[in-house]
Amino acid sequence: MTTSSTSVHTPAWAAGVCAGLSAVGIQHVVYVPDNPLSHVLRELDARYTDIKAILATREEEAFGIAAGLYLGGARPAVLLQSSGLGNSLNALASLLLPYQIPVLMIISMRGDATEWNAAQVPMGRTVPIVLDALGIRYLVSSSETKASVESLGATAFGTRTPAACLLPRMLTTTTPAAATEGS
Amino acid sequence: MSRIITRLEATRSLIASLNGEPVVASLGHPAYDLFAALDRPENFYTWGSMGLASSIGLGLAVARPDLRVFVLDGEGSLLMNLGSLATIGWTKAQNLVLVVWDNEEYGTTGGQPSATAHGADLAAAARSMGIEMTSIARDDLELKAAIARVRAAHGPAVIVAKVRESAPTAKPPLDCVFIKQRFMDAIGNREASTRGVVK
Repeated sequence: MTTSSTSVHTPAWAAGVCAGLSAVGIQHVVYVPDNPLSHVLRELDARYTDIKAILATREEEAFGIAAGLYLGGARPAVLLQSSGLGNSLNALASLLLPYQIPVLMIISMRGDATEWNAAQVPMGRTVPIVLDALGIRYLVSSSETKASVESLGATAFGTRTPAACLLPRMLTTTTPAAATEGS
Repeated sequence: MSRIITRLEATRSLIASLNGEPVVASLGHPAYDLFAALDRPENFYTWGSMGLASSIGLGLAVARPDLRVFVLDGEGSLLMNLGSLATIGWTKAQNLVLVVWDNEEYGTTGGQPSATAHGADLAAAARSMGIEMTSIARDDLELKAAIARVRAAHGPAVIVAKVRESAPTAKPPLDCVFIKQRFMDAIGNREASTRGVVK
């Protein structure tokens, strides 16, 4: 373990996500950036050097890269904001699901409680409904993020399916400023 | 004298040069022609996810740096995921070869002209995204030369091969899980779930 060189404190939820990813044996995280997820990415960079991060330009592309990583024998996770799920539906429905390719999804929520941006609300409200419609298992992790990520990882890689850990804004945006300004 | 070859002829030419390397094929006619040219366990046929063949190939190349990974994309598919060129450009996966069958039309859906028919240059796009090894092949000799060049060097590489549309003569297996498991087994990543357990 090394000490983070930045002065930014890693919130407990983000440390839990990273510990969960490590416990699942994730070797690569493919991501499109998001403000709360920056805590996860920073913690991975500082403390989990065996987990490689790959930046994608779009969430759909991230799922394609993750699928290839799995074909190559690795255990991939995709980190995305919930709005990016809308960009990813065809990758999930016509690649990951029919080929039974497991990917662990860490989804930072927009549009749920404390949301200030009306443009984020319709997609955010749709996320659980879309996941249900696709038959993709998910948990809304409101506290024990390590346990949530671990159990979803077991589901994903044990039964060869995508599975999603949803991180609500009540968990990831704890300060009034963060809850009211652009995340 | 240059002669534009059909996609099937081009696919045959490429397959003849391979030696067990994995090939990821974009859905529709590129996958159909790969199957028609030579069905082999190292072929990963996609049946959906238009645009993502190059991304799948990139992930595979990152996970398996010991393998040279070939992707057979269509220009219409790549145009759907141009960001992939940027990601390939900065990750610089040395073992990735992206072959773009450019027939300048959406051949699988009825022949509507694509952006390359109007001058879009995907090799230039790849170069501008940091992919240094790019080429445009306009006949079989140029395609063979381009393949020989990428074999002798570090990639990533993009080969845009101008081809003529030709009616596919075959279709690959429809069972997606079969395609995946056969492929993973062939490249040495057999899925644990296919093994069974002896207590």
